[in-house]
Amino acid sequence: MASMIQPKARRYLPGLLLTAVLLMVSATAAQAQTSTADSLAAWQKVSSVLTHPRCLNCHQPNVPKQGDNRQIHVPLVVRGPAGHGVGAMTCGSCHNASNNPTSRTPGAPHWHLAPASMNWEGLSDRELCLMLKDPKRNGKRTPEALVTHMANDGLVLWGWEAGAGRESVPMPHKEFVDHLKVWVAGGTACPK
Amino acid sequence: MVTLNVNGKNEEMDVSPEMPLLWALRDRLNLTGTKYGCGRAMCGACTVHVDGEAIRSCSIMVGTVAGGKKKITTIEGASGKVAAAVINAWQKLDVVQCGYCQSGQIMSAITLLSKNSKPTDTDIDLGMEGNICRCGTYVRIRQAIHQAAKSLA
Ligand code: FES
Ligand code: FES
Repeated sequence: MASMIQPKARRYLPGLLLTAVLLMVSATAAQAQTSTADSLAAWQKVSSVLTHPRCLNCHQPNVPKQGDNRQIHVPLVVRGPAGHGVGAMTCGSCHNASNNPTSRTPGAPHWHLAPASMNWEGLSDRELCLMLKDPKRNGKRTPEALVTHMANDGLVLWGWEAGAGRESVPMPHKEFVDHLKVWVAGGTACPK
Repeated sequence: MVTLNVNGKNEEMDVSPEMPLLWALRDRLNLTGTKYGCGRAMCGACTVHVDGEAIRSCSIMVGTVAGGKKKITTIEGASGKVAAAVINAWQKLDVVQCGYCQSGQIMSAITLLSKNSKPTDTDIDLGMEGNICRCGTYVRIRQAIHQAAKSLA
């Protein structure tokens, strides 16, 4: 393979390899510094956010819930083939990409029910933890991709800007992401 | 200034992007066939189409559908095979009671049948769930949708 590399690129190769090794070592060091106990403690904080109505209401098997009292969505809307409703009852029928101050419907980019494989309702803390790190049930995400998703996705961020009449997630978003990073760095530990 | 494409025509107006589309349609464009019921996305009286999808115009903001690319259709502009079949069935079965909810019902029925050409009763109930009729014409609405589906087959 090395013979296929151009001479100019070959000159940079040792430096690149050294950088890669250093990055791997520092990642392993960060992981080593974060214990399983740290990860487990961080998970408790993460889980307190995931089970907040702003997250849980749309991580449902078939019908979203709404409000801080977590009632069945009124009017009734069902998942449908793409998680966006059926017939004349789709998420986009009423929800905008931002909260609507007049009708008071909440809104965020790509407002929709989480995929059925990501139903969080009724799970124990352990089950939720195992589901979150299972690529088959978390949208094929690595732990690092989970952090990126929860740090940046517009629909996730809405949980912290829920609009009038709804409680936003009480833990500051940055704090939540920091806990998530510790959970990941310590090996995504799950409670027994 | 925002541009709305309504019933095939670009309309310009000086309104806030947060204004409910319903106000733009009724108060600026005088398209009063679309009704104001609850203003909270709960009744369906204000249903119009955006690119063929049924939306509650009291809840969708002007800014969401502005720019001229999204095609807004109100009951005044409803046309085509499915719309004709629905309106025809509605007339034949005399669906309408007081009529207040009916432009919304018809717009929703058109979207439903455009997506599902042979809906079951359950499909109709779930797909039309957002449209409330205070006169209780649900039985005739169901029949009319089935009849429209048959006429389109
Ligand atoms: S007026 Fe829009 S849903 Fe009731
Ligand atoms: S016909 Fe009267 S509200 Fe529906």
